Amino acid sequence: MSEYLLEVNNLTKKFPIRGGIFGREVGAVYAVNDVSFKIKKGETLGLVGESGCGKTTLGRSLLRLIEPTAGEVFFNGVDITKLDADGMREMRRKMQIIFQDPYASLNPRMTVGGILAEPMEIHGLFKDKEERRKRLLQLLDQVQLPADALNKYPHEFSGGQRQRICIARALAVEPEFIVCDEPVSALDVSVQAQVVNLMMDLQKDLGLTFLFIAHDLKVVEYISNRVAVMYLGNMVEVAESHELYGGARHPYTKALFSAIPNPNPNVTHDRIILEGDIPSPMNPPDGCHFHPRCWNATDECRGSYPPVTEESSTHAYRCYNPNQLS
Amino acid sequence: MAEKILEIKDLCVEFNTDRGVIRAVNGVNLEVYKGKTLGVVGESGSGKSVTALSIMRLIPSPPGKIARGTIDYRGENLLEIPFDEMRRIRGNKIAMIFQEPMTSLNPVFTVGNQIEEVLELHQKELSKEQRRDKAIEMLHLVGIPSPEKRVTEYPHQLSGGMRQRVMIAMSLACEPDILIADEPTTALDVTIQAQILELMNKLQKELGMGIIMITHDLGVVAETCDDVAVMYCGQIVERAEVKELFNHPQHPYTKGLIESIPSFDSTTGERKDRLPTIEGMVPSLFDLPDGCNFQDRCNFATDKCRGSEGEPVLKSIGTHHDAACFHPLS
Repeated sequence: MSEYLLEVNNLTKKFPIRGGIFGREVGAVYAVNDVSFKIKKGETLGLVGESGCGKTTLGRSLLRLIEPTAGEVFFNGVDITKLDADGMREMRRKMQIIFQDPYASLNPRMTVGGILAEPMEIHGLFKDKEERRKRLLQLLDQVQLPADALNKYPHEFSGGQRQRICIARALAVEPEFIVCDEPVSALDVSVQAQVVNLMMDLQKDLGLTFLFIAHDLKVVEYISNRVAVMYLGNMVEVAESHELYGGARHPYTKALFSAIPNPNPNVTHDRIILEGDIPSPMNPPDGCHFHPRCWNATDECRGSYPPVTEESSTHAYRCYNPNQLS
Repeated sequence: MAEKILEIKDLCVEFNTDRGVIRAVNGVNLEVYKGKTLGVVGESGSGKSVTALSIMRLIPSPPGKIARGTIDYRGENLLEIPFDEMRRIRGNKIAMIFQEPMTSLNPVFTVGNQIEEVLELHQKELSKEQRRDKAIEMLHLVGIPSPEKRVTEYPHQLSGGMRQRVMIAMSLACEPDILIADEPTTALDVTIQAQILELMNKLQKELGMGIIMITHDLGVVAETCDDVAVMYCGQIVERAEVKELFNHPQHPYTKGLIESIPSFDSTTGERKDRLPTIEGMVPSLFDLPDGCNFQDRCNFATDKCRGSEGEPVLKSIGTHHDAACFHPLS
């Protein structure tokens, strides 16, 4: 058994663009392009990037909620892209997802008890009513909700509480791996901190492995062991989270982290203001996709996409002219 | 001291709902100075946006009603002037940028049309050509490349950041005295947010307007504001100069908010233990407790806070520093 729970090789997801009266394929968007990474057991890998960079598509293709076009996803040594529907259903017991919007991802016509019990029913995880009830109460306790929540409906809860229900639903089948797709973005600051703490506690207690997708870099840096940065479908840098702020090698990572407003008015830091917007993924620039906005760009960058450079076992980047570390 | 251009006194805004009357804004006092940025921070439902809409007299009525208070703009009470008069001020002297650049532009008009409309209403002396020139100039000012071309484009042809720039161009077309920015960067990515905030700072220096920056992001406040007011349940709980507020927060809520932001001071690589949090959640406006609204989430709450001496009022606890708390922190 390897120390990695999840191993992703050359994962690609292509969305065809259809046009003309016959709906022929006239182009393609590579939402995820040739991405490889590994996640250790019990680790949290953060995934950041701007909107449209492919974070969510990547997260969902790991669970085959979006069918990847090419590549392999090994979970506990099994390539899940080759599994049939039954095999995949079995596998999903071990892999769960928490969605961004706790208002849209709970069925308003089901009670909390029904919502939490449904995944367990599907996988046949309880024998009788007594066992079901015991397990439901245990789940509510894990996410610090009161027991009387069982018979209430989602609209009776605030955003933070609903996200706790979503977390409990993911935990119901006792998974090993959870994709967290922007789980705290829709929450207020003070509630966000509560949910982040809850997730970190659960990880410690249950030995969970997380892929934590977010655009809030401060939260990601806080919760993750390592962070991966995506730009236009490509993973441009992966590093230990504490390395990223000061020791970023890819210019995009550096710009991204310097753009975060600093909640400390006493220090002023040099900010890199990137020119322009993210190019359209339908028509990405040749070579390195970042070169039109990059201040280090050379002819080499315009020619071909940079290969992966592994600086250490935990730090890799794709850039011809990385930042020099001082 | 900069010139005071707007003063809000004792503003109360009520909404009629099926479950009774709620007070979304309750006794708010604010001042805006020329060339300065006032930050208004708070969580959702704290009354930030309602305060901003009241200044513009855009509160939907019914169900909303401004129950009490005055809003003085250069000696005139905006709440009492006739509707026509208000129209001349709105968009002209006081302009507003909204949160959602995707939904606040009209999809069936070109961005040029929409900027020209503002000029047509407020600067009637301009000819059609002059208005077009001015629209192009404004797009240029907010950093949109090739504005001559962009001026004939529709909102769907622009990215989110570009649309927010168009919104800013529209609001600044008449060189307003006051710009109200209601979460102007919340829907944008960080790199675009940095561009927009930089742009607003630069334009403020050039045009000298007062800005009211409404946001829930303390990072944005720290970087752009001169003064800050923290709102909770429709009231201002603390008000101070920006550095003073971050360095010496007096209200436990302000302190909790500042502490609950994860910070980047980790260089060791060790996993930090837990984020400090504010326990519990914001009380419902239908069911506010007696006394201090923050009492259930506060570690310092005493009987005094639970209503034995009424509600805490905003009072001075230092130079330009007010807090509404019976037990300010230091």
